[in-house]
Amino acid sequence: MALSTPVLGVVMLIYLMVIFYLGWIGYKKTERSDDYMVAGRKINPYILALSYGATFISTSAIIGFGGAAGALGMGLLWLAVMNIIVGIFIAFVVFGSRTRRMGAKLGAVTFPELLGRRFQSRFIQGFSGALIGIFMPLYAGIVLIGGARFVETALSIDYDVAVLLLTVIVAAYVITGGLIAVMYTDALQGALMFVGMAFLLAFTYAKLGGVKAAHSALTAMDTLVPESLAGGGHLGWTSMPAFGSPIWWTLISTLVLGVGIGVLAQPQLAVRYMTVKDDRALNRAVLVGGPFILMMTGVAFTVGALSNVYFFNKLGVISVVAAKGNTDLIMPQYINSAMPELFVILFMLVLLAAAMSTLSSQFHTMGTAIGHDFYRQYIKKGELGQTINITRAGIACTILASVIFAYVLPISIIARATAIFFGLCAAAFLPMYTGTLFWKRMTREGAIASMLVGTFTSLFWITFVHAKEATPLGISQALFGKATLLTGTWNVIDPILVATPLAFVAAIVVSLVTKPGPKEHLDKCYK
Amino acid sequence: MLGIDDPQIWIAYVLCFLSAIACIIYGALKWNDGAEDEEVV
Repeated sequence: MALSTPVLGVVMLIYLMVIFYLGWIGYKKTERSDDYMVAGRKINPYILALSYGATFISTSAIIGFGGAAGALGMGLLWLAVMNIIVGIFIAFVVFGSRTRRMGAKLGAVTFPELLGRRFQSRFIQGFSGALIGIFMPLYAGIVLIGGARFVETALSIDYDVAVLLLTVIVAAYVITGGLIAVMYTDALQGALMFVGMAFLLAFTYAKLGGVKAAHSALTAMDTLVPESLAGGGHLGWTSMPAFGSPIWWTLISTLVLGVGIGVLAQPQLAVRYMTVKDDRALNRAVLVGGPFILMMTGVAFTVGALSNVYFFNKLGVISVVAAKGNTDLIMPQYINSAMPELFVILFMLVLLAAAMSTLSSQFHTMGTAIGHDFYRQYIKKGELGQTINITRAGIACTILASVIFAYVLPISIIARATAIFFGLCAAAFLPMYTGTLFWKRMTREGAIASMLVGTFTSLFWITFVHAKEATPLGISQALFGKATLLTGTWNVIDPILVATPLAFVAAIVVSLVTKPGPKEHLDKCYK
Repeated sequence: MLGIDDPQIWIAYVLCFLSAIACIIYGALKWNDGAEDEEVV
């Protein structure tokens, strides 16, 4: 995307000025710890919905997953269905409302604090905080790379400078303005993303002769599936892969289930339910959130798959070939080559907005996890004092870690970081989080067991079994002389499908054999 | 349907729209439900 015009420069400048203005409003409105951590619990429902959606959808969701649809086809639309039904409807209506109520009753200001207070355990809060502080920089690292690569090509500046520039801009408004600044800027970025993706869909269908004609043309291309993909079970871009084939397992277990369910236990998203005053705001947010996600992942996956028709008509090759085998380049190449120049500029802004909105929430969540959950509540045992300053220091440290991760890690690992982080969160937190909200009988011991089983099974599976991570990591090879400990289908089954059920079993079994928590406390949580 | 032969795909395509519409209907019907002025801790 080498495009550096005065128009782009001016548009970027205006965009950054508005971002800083919103960051300044966040700073002015932040007076108490509650403001910094949960935006004072009085965020407007539209801002909540856009902020949640913009945080959920990063550049990698549009470029990376859109490119994956270019290679694997429209089967990815099942992930879009999951994103809307699980990621918005179930998240807000089933989880959101209870999280908000319990969070307010227990005075929790972060996701780990909600879990820790429900089970009266500083260990749960400290361990969750540490887990987020250690592994979220991985996820932030790839979002940072995506954003910096954009700044590098759009403004023709050095990549290293781009990383620093992006980090400093986002860090400035997150550290000073807290969650209010994060959510206000998210809302603006979300609105930009919505407009950009709507144009992208309309242009694509118009270019390919309409909805039905475009799909029919893609269906007719099923004979062009390359040998390497066909061998893995690829049956065409408008067909599901062959049942039980390696591509089917990747699509269903890692993408549809891993990312689709993993979203429920994302700390940076769950904390948002606690930013609104009442359930009415959550209900209203559903109205905005559903169509928003449809326009994000639904459009990215459809356009990604349809890019095959465009490239075939124009160059006589499929998208993967046009992008020289790198699926991450499918969407940028398609947009650059098929869309009018003005739209290319708009879309660059969309990608920058998508990266910045996800990054800002990651920085805030990592900082509060280290500063508030791990340091203040676990190490200092809740001692009052310089909470906001410690959190700010935590944000600075984890940002530094993200930047270092972005430089140090091999590209093959970084590309998998979103799925790794989503899966790890689902295994470590989902059973405990579900129990926190819906199962009075769940005990502190049950929660700890589920968190530890989920975390360590997931890490074990990533290191020793799931080939996509285990092979490049090389730990299994170094210790046991083979790339993975198990073989066959096991190697393509995502950690989430193994670790999360085990964590649920641990939660149930251990809870049933241990003594329930004090009645008084449970009444306070659930009344 | 819609130029897509495999029902597993067009069902997903249609479900994307239906689920987004369901979110709109839910939000509109519950527009004023759940308002409370509870004391924030």
